[in-house]
Amino acid sequence: MIIAGTEYTPQEMLVIAGSRVLENGKVVFVGTGLPMIATLLARKTHAPGITAVFEAGAVDPALESGLPFSVGDSRTSSGASYVRGLNSAFEMTQRGFCDFGFVGGAEIDPFGNLNSTMMGKFPEDYMKPATRLPGSGGASDMASSCERTILIMPHERRRFNKKLNYITSPGYLDGSPGARKKAGLLGKGPYRVITTKAILGFDDKTHRMKLLQTMPGETAASVQAATGFELLMDPNITAFDPPTETELRMIREVIDPLGFFVKKPQKAQVLYQF
Amino acid sequence: MFWTGLTPDEARAALVDKDKSRRDKRCTLKEAVDAFIKDGDNVAIGGFVNIRQPIATCHEMIRHGFKDMTFSFQSSGMAMDYLGGAMAIAPDHFSIRRIEFAYWAHESFGLSPVFRYLAERGKLELEDWSNYNMSARFKAGAMGVPFLPTRGPLGSDILEKCRAKVMECPFTGTPIVLVPASHPNVAILHVQTADQYGNCIIRGTEATCPEMAMAAAHTIVTCEQIVPHELLTRKPRDIAIPFFAVDAVVQVPFGAYPTSCRRHYYFNKEHIASFHALAKHLTMEDKKPLTAYYDDYIWGVQDFGEFIDTFPVRKILEEYHSEMRNFEKLM
Repeated sequence: MIIAGTEYTPQEMLVIAGSRVLENGKVVFVGTGLPMIATLLARKTHAPGITAVFEAGAVDPALESGLPFSVGDSRTSSGASYVRGLNSAFEMTQRGFCDFGFVGGAEIDPFGNLNSTMMGKFPEDYMKPATRLPGSGGASDMASSCERTILIMPHERRRFNKKLNYITSPGYLDGSPGARKKAGLLGKGPYRVITTKAILGFDDKTHRMKLLQTMPGETAASVQAATGFELLMDPNITAFDPPTETELRMIREVIDPLGFFVKKPQKAQVLYQF
Repeated sequence: MFWTGLTPDEARAALVDKDKSRRDKRCTLKEAVDAFIKDGDNVAIGGFVNIRQPIATCHEMIRHGFKDMTFSFQSSGMAMDYLGGAMAIAPDHFSIRRIEFAYWAHESFGLSPVFRYLAERGKLELEDWSNYNMSARFKAGAMGVPFLPTRGPLGSDILEKCRAKVMECPFTGTPIVLVPASHPNVAILHVQTADQYGNCIIRGTEATCPEMAMAAAHTIVTCEQIVPHELLTRKPRDIAIPFFAVDAVVQVPFGAYPTSCRRHYYFNKEHIASFHALAKHLTMEDKKPLTAYYDDYIWGVQDFGEFIDTFPVRKILEEYHSEMRNFEKLM
């Protein structure tokens, strides 16, 4: 009934990579979508001691009743140590309780700034954008106030741009030394960018995005080709380990058995039905 | 600086002049909407994305018809989709002038075709904020102060098009954002339990409902159940909203449906998806499919009870049992 760990989708790999980056024992402020799935996987594999904080106000829920559809979902309240509202959650991040903010985005630049607001000319077309995206939600607050942020998104050239249409969530801003502190931001800024093709970090001095690891089947050249700006290359780029059978089994059988969030390989879907 | 809704002085005066006595505030939703909401008002929308959205009140507002509304919220899903959808198909009957917000979409259930239709055609005045900004704005209103200092959205483009000010903190000398208080004319909230006076118990996330109720000039509460005051006050600390912040209490079972309400029902994902499928036709300038939905489910029914009657009992029970399962590991 279970599929061997040889076949998997890019989305499964993305979730698994997101999970492996999370450190046991840390407090993670979990954004909606992919970060929720990756956090749950980490808790069920290598990092059972992660404390999840959700922006609607829940701290450390059991997450035993299924994957939440929303960061305010009833499932984030069941078994939680503390539940209040949005103000309390964001006040905790400002205070310094959240080691990592884990967020998705639509568009990213070389300094880890994110856009989830609009595509088109800003500020000219703000009131009539070419494409209107949902808006910040809590992403801007997480990027402002969590100690570090981990960003997770599909790796597509149109999403990795030298200049963003709009900065929703601040990363290293223009990359200049101390830019975050000068702007009044708390926290050190982006730590990792996890994509379907690579694990990226940021150079300590220039704060530019740097390739650290490539996903199975990718090379430094293929990652660069899918990126709309020049990446720095770490001197020791390594290959990221493919999914283990345990990780795939967890996603397919325990966390998201209906495949609502994470697409399974076609063959795996068929096999699963028997 | 300009104020939408009430200025801090007006908001203070509104409470001073108000009858704040503990009295029976039960009424019908139609009476509440007629009495407290006017054209041009700034209305705060309770809940969070598709959690505990005040859907019944939104439907009643759409039946009533309003002009030039401002809506204030942190994150909204179906409440804004219903209100925005009404404007998209019947702008002479229902219109929105402005929104002050952080997020209008549906998380796992996707983007909002209604928002994209309205925004990409320039039909709304937008004021983007972050979730914490909007929450802090309601909190400042609730605290009776004209602003609160926050960190976000320092360094972002949000600052350029909103009324926030960046100041040098007089104590640390570092930059800090000041967000202006929000004092909506009316807050519309859906909660699990209330008594006849308007004391409210909220289960799961409070979202920003208590702050909205305290900041607004008037608050309309719909609830799953009204229970006797003596029962509700057995644990006074469970009360999230005190009676004098509430003007109308209406029992509307399933009043947040098809969004979810902890302890009562989980999302109706299929209904949300089918609404979006109909709303997507707006982008091809075809209003017929969404109009047919409003004819069937909103304009064609007398009240929210009749809307709920359009769902098979089996489907309603499915959402009820799904929500029960969200608890079972704990029992």
